[in-house]
Amino acid sequence: MDRIKQLAINDEGFVFDPLTGDSFTVNQTGLFILKKLKEGKTEEEILQEITGEFEVSQEEAERDLIDFIEKLRSYRLI
Amino acid sequence: MEIKIAVSGINAVDNPGPGIGVAKSLLEAEDFSAEIVGLAYDAMEPGIYMDWIVKKSFIMPYPSGGHDAFINRLLYIKENYGMDFFMPVLDAELPVVIKYSHELEKNGIKTFLPTYEQFKLRSKDRLEEIANNIGIEIPKSEVVTSYEELIKAIEKIGLPVMVKGAFYKAYRAFTTQEAVSYYNKIVAQWGYPIIVQQVVSGEEMNVVAAGDGEGSSLGMVGIKKVWITELGKIWTGITIKNEKMLSASQKFIEKYSWKGAFELECIVDTKESRVYLIEINPRFPAWSYFSTGVGVNIAANIIRKSFGMPVKNYTDYPAGKLYVRFTDDLVTDMERFQKIITRGES
Repeated sequence: MDRIKQLAINDEGFVFDPLTGDSFTVNQTGLFILKKLKEGKTEEEILQEITGEFEVSQEEAERDLIDFIEKLRSYRLI
Repeated sequence: MEIKIAVSGINAVDNPGPGIGVAKSLLEAEDFSAEIVGLAYDAMEPGIYMDWIVKKSFIMPYPSGGHDAFINRLLYIKENYGMDFFMPVLDAELPVVIKYSHELEKNGIKTFLPTYEQFKLRSKDRLEEIANNIGIEIPKSEVVTSYEELIKAIEKIGLPVMVKGAFYKAYRAFTTQEAVSYYNKIVAQWGYPIIVQQVVSGEEMNVVAAGDGEGSSLGMVGIKKVWITELGKIWTGITIKNEKMLSASQKFIEKYSWKGAFELECIVDTKESRVYLIEINPRFPAWSYFSTGVGVNIAANIIRKSFGMPVKNYTDYPAGKLYVRFTDDLVTDMERFQKIITRGES
């Protein structure tokens, strides 16, 4: 999780990784998840917050969250 | 304190020398006032005409002319115009300046350079030993001096391979025929030995730093090249903090008591978290102003150390700062050009 904590994230969804110099853009949902991960929240807590924040079914939110986390994993950010 | 500092490499062209970046850094120092004396090898080096940075320029004989031509020219400049410090930034100048640094010092020209023994470490056939000592890796490589050894090395490492000269040139060969042709090309131009090296994947990341000769750093910044020219020169870059690469640079300064500026060129495989050492240049890179721009003025610290002023302790810099090169132009009178052509000085 440390790599996540080092990421520089702005409110428009621009993400910079100081270790690799790579930059990414994420949408509002991605930004929401990244910020929560940075705060150290668990996947379950984040899932609950997504369904509270966005108009989305539990199932859809779970699928998107898993998808996004897999993507972060593929970039070795987790 | 006013200091006249001679800087070479003021050829600010598409394959720029490091001089202008170093000069800009020196002029930005707040605790001393630098006057830049430009040393050029051609009357058309743009730095000669950039009078807001370089106050006066002199044409130099090539360093290969050795003591009589090169050193005497420096002493002439010292006597007739003044020079308190000489910051050579070109590879070809370093051996002769290192060799005669005591003579220059006796004549009132300070330098801040590695010893000749340290300078020899940059040779590509010593890199493996250095990489081992500073905790990073090096692509598998073999030093070869004959056709037979070349073929053996290719068999051992496996294609594709990089074929490199000891100091200059590097080509990627996908077949043995290609490797042989690059080998012949480099030998014809630069001589032996030739290094055959494994191709590693990753991104080009570099460090600019300087050691004080006593095991401490005078400043250090890590960057990633984002956009390069056809010649492989950085045009856009970004500051990064790759701990493994930075700690390797720190160890290099400590273990070898490195004195002076250097550039560490690495390939970093961030997925596997492996850092490969590609090259060490015993001088400032052409992009050294980047470090000054993020608050780490290494060139100024070298001057502080040389003149006994308090050295600034640069412990940190921001990651994610962008470096952008751009082209510019100027219009001037013929006068400077005429002077430099006829008198050898502007």
